[in-house]
Amino acid sequence: MSFSLDRRQFLLGSTALVAAGAVSPAFAQDKRLRLTWWGGQARADRTNAVSDLYAKAHPGVAFDTEFNAFNDYWPKLGTQVAGGNAPDVLQMDYRYLVEYANRGAIAALDDYVGKGLKLDDFDQDQQDGGKVDGKLYAISLGANSVSIMVNQKAFADAGVAEPNRDWSYDDYKANAAAFNAKSNGVRLMADGSGNEPALENWLRQRGKALYKDGKIGWDADDLTAWFKMWVDLRAAQVCVSPEDQALDASAAIDTTMITIGKAATTYANSNQLIAFQAVNKSPLTMVNFPRAGAGTGGGHYRKPSQFWSVNPKSALIEDAVSYVSFFVNDIEAGLALGVERGIPCSAAVRAALSPTLSAPDQLSLNFVSNLGDLLGKLPPVPPAHAGEVSQQLNTKAQEVAFGSTTPEDAGPAFAKEAADILARAS
Amino acid sequence: MTTEAPRLTIVTGQVTAGRVARRRVISVVAHVLLIGASILMLYPLLWMLSASFRPEAEIFSSNSLIPSSVSLHGYSSGWFGLSRSFDVFFLNSFIVSILCVIGNLAACSLTAFAFARLEFWGRRFWFALMLGTLMLPYQVVLIPQYVLFLKLGWVNSFLPLVVPKYLAVDAFFIFLMVQFFRGIPRELDEAAMMDGCSPWRIYFKIMLPLSLPVMTTAGIFTFIFTWDDFFAPLIYLNDLKTYTVTLALRTFVDSTAESNWSGLFAMSILSLLPIFVLFLFFQRLLIEGIATTGMKR
Amino acid sequence: MTARSIGADAAPYGRAVVPSVWSRLWSANGPGYLFLLPWFIGFFGLTVGPIVTSFYLSFTNFDLLTPAEWVGFDNYARMFTADPKFAQSMRVTLLFVVFSVPLKLAFALSIALLLNRGMRGLPIYRAIFYLPSLLGASVAIAVLWRQLFAGDGVVNDFLAIFGIQGPSWISNPRTSLWTLIALAVWQFGSPMIIFLAGLRQIPVDLYEAASLDGASKWRIFWKVTLPLLTPVVFFNAIIQTIEGFKSFTPAFIISGGTGNPVNSTLFYTLYLYQEAFAFFRMGYASALAWVLLAIVAIFTGVSFLTSRYWVHYDD
Repeated sequence: MSFSLDRRQFLLGSTALVAAGAVSPAFAQDKRLRLTWWGGQARADRTNAVSDLYAKAHPGVAFDTEFNAFNDYWPKLGTQVAGGNAPDVLQMDYRYLVEYANRGAIAALDDYVGKGLKLDDFDQDQQDGGKVDGKLYAISLGANSVSIMVNQKAFADAGVAEPNRDWSYDDYKANAAAFNAKSNGVRLMADGSGNEPALENWLRQRGKALYKDGKIGWDADDLTAWFKMWVDLRAAQVCVSPEDQALDASAAIDTTMITIGKAATTYANSNQLIAFQAVNKSPLTMVNFPRAGAGTGGGHYRKPSQFWSVNPKSALIEDAVSYVSFFVNDIEAGLALGVERGIPCSAAVRAALSPTLSAPDQLSLNFVSNLGDLLGKLPPVPPAHAGEVSQQLNTKAQEVAFGSTTPEDAGPAFAKEAADILARAS
Repeated sequence: MTTEAPRLTIVTGQVTAGRVARRRVISVVAHVLLIGASILMLYPLLWMLSASFRPEAEIFSSNSLIPSSVSLHGYSSGWFGLSRSFDVFFLNSFIVSILCVIGNLAACSLTAFAFARLEFWGRRFWFALMLGTLMLPYQVVLIPQYVLFLKLGWVNSFLPLVVPKYLAVDAFFIFLMVQFFRGIPRELDEAAMMDGCSPWRIYFKIMLPLSLPVMTTAGIFTFIFTWDDFFAPLIYLNDLKTYTVTLALRTFVDSTAESNWSGLFAMSILSLLPIFVLFLFFQRLLIEGIATTGMKR
Repeated sequence: MTARSIGADAAPYGRAVVPSVWSRLWSANGPGYLFLLPWFIGFFGLTVGPIVTSFYLSFTNFDLLTPAEWVGFDNYARMFTADPKFAQSMRVTLLFVVFSVPLKLAFALSIALLLNRGMRGLPIYRAIFYLPSLLGASVAIAVLWRQLFAGDGVVNDFLAIFGIQGPSWISNPRTSLWTLIALAVWQFGSPMIIFLAGLRQIPVDLYEAASLDGASKWRIFWKVTLPLLTPVVFFNAIIQTIEGFKSFTPAFIISGGTGNPVNSTLFYTLYLYQEAFAFFRMGYASALAWVLLAIVAIFTGVSFLTSRYWVHYDD
């Protein structure tokens, strides 16, 4: 720890020279907050704008920022934490929250609530989403929901009505023949059998959960039924072939079935519409995930898209918390951020932001705000190593799709594998 | 024997008319083969070149090499796509790569000379250890190494990328040079030794001049490997203004959000240019090396 | 030309007559160790510590975020008794090495020989054949490879001319590994350049002598070129095999780090990387690394032992 202080002073020394001209001598003792997040330049621009606003309101604070692509972010953060050189404020994902919290790599913020950290008009479900074992470790930067991207032109060309909020998997199946007749090889759906959010959504509609009390919240029969449903959809040519689906190895926007022109709909998140539209020629819109049966609901939930967390070993922990609070509460900051990280969780920010949004952003806001009967309770934060289970689901689903195992065998097999992974993680 | 082209034919001396005709046929066949292979090799690159001029929405849905419309948007949006423009990243990449080339050539050739030509206690042992360092996947030494450089205060600077090269940590290049040094006739340095030359002089006056091909190869490879490396820069460089080109390119593509694909392809093409030009320029040395090494024995 | 390996009985440099033990020791070892000085500093200062640390970690549970916890041989035991992914990744990697290394070397050597004929346009060909290797591990390769090897990709467009309906090579678990082998072979530039440099170092007078003796070109290749090239062949074979076992980036980029479809491209080091950085099991990953090191070291050791029978050095 003493070391990172030395480093800070060393950095200060070199940057102070540069800054000397611009900053008045009173602020020579600049505090430098280190921030890190994943995302592209668009996110960086918005984040830096907030940092500038904060610096203006809090003279004497300056920022060192780092950002990387999602896949590069985690090895780097892991290395920094292991080396005792973690940034003061770091972006956290729902998936890794338990891992970092349980190991003391991020700070519990309960003591700051009401003091440095203002959460007065902050959505309760989003506060809960950042809690592990009842303690608040992370502040949600936006609410999100899963959603299906829809290629409007494909439906118009095929003369089939676009899916609406009532469509169940059976409805997709019923419309497939008519769609395929004119779709020129494009299928109605992507193959979602290995898609963890799709499975979770479907399980929740059946009254189950992906995880419950740190264990799996479903049994082998559920999974057999799930895999069976997809064997059916595949046979009826409702969804794309296994070979096509496997092209989407990394589930990145550029490889999804809709982007490479294999399917008219694809599984995604509500804040990704603009990003999808950028790489798709045809106009896109959004709809909810299919219902498990006619009239079932409660599969969706408002998921925290990402969080700010604070390094417990930070020498500037008060400033770090104050920055996070400013980030989610300040109106100006909210306007700068837009809905790029998801729908803001502060009611006041949301109200100020709403009239300024572009059409696709508006669509995203309305979608998350008007889920109605589709909306269910926020599930508990996924247990440690949920990421490995998710990857195993994808592998198992591919085994079924390529015919190397049957739904009857795959259900129990995956149940055992998932339980083993969770047991090992503890 | 200074030019390379007529090597095999001229030395044979007697060339008959029949053999000329046969040679011509062989030459044509060789060219046809090579051109065919070149097209195979180049298709993916040509596709990338064409993608860099394409509208974003067309990139992932077309096999053809000809874009429906040509736009330079990828180049402008790519160059200024991050809050620092690419000239900064190119400069960083050049600095790091050139420093690494100098370090590797100096340190690895010294080490290789010792292993190839000098006799000392424990040589085989040290050589085996040196090769051993080549075999451990870098992923597991990353964190201990990071802690080490952190303690030295080198993180967020070029030092962790450059300094190790001056301490011959690249076993690949040591091994490469050892193999080539051992191909140089020993009579030469033995004669020099008789004349009272020190090992240092033999290294400098005989070994280095005679190994221009391998030194060029090692130099080009070091430059290219360093230029292409993203993992070390990712871990050790924090500040965007210190990013190398390859690291900056990765920052373009975030799988969870909007990515600048045409910018990525455009900048990928541009990032290939310097190493391609360098290769074109220095590969002459690979050829001219023979002018100095084509010695009689 | 005798075949000798490192450490054989070559005469040391130094004065012929030396008075004391110390100066004899110095003249026998001093220059060698002086030349090795930078390497020693690097080895002991930068390399040994992290390597020893990783060996220690292989006997622990280490999650990156909290201190390591000693578990003895548990990691190694698990690998060989309870980890199907270890077996799968080993199988994938062995297949990859067995096919990609010989193919890549064969390509590199034959193209190098062709180019060494000194034909017109040589620099251009050489540059073209090296271009793919310049791409390295660029993100662009993932897109390129999908464009080539998807169901409606260029390869199948080409096969369709002959009435062949190919699979989606890159995303079918039966063929996906082959697209990665193709990628490795496509990037044969480095060994090609090393072969070329090796060919350049063969003294011309040897060819002259052989030609005057009336030897055919085929004979010259077998009797002159190839023997003199063996140190370089040896180098390329060793390096490519080591690199093949450690191969990471092709699968990392093309499968998006997953090793799918159905773990058919789960390279050993990709699995290791997942364990270390995605699943926070650096201890287990370190154990995986040391098993890989043992395998590669055995292979390399055997290669060095056999090398004295077929590798010809000039010293």
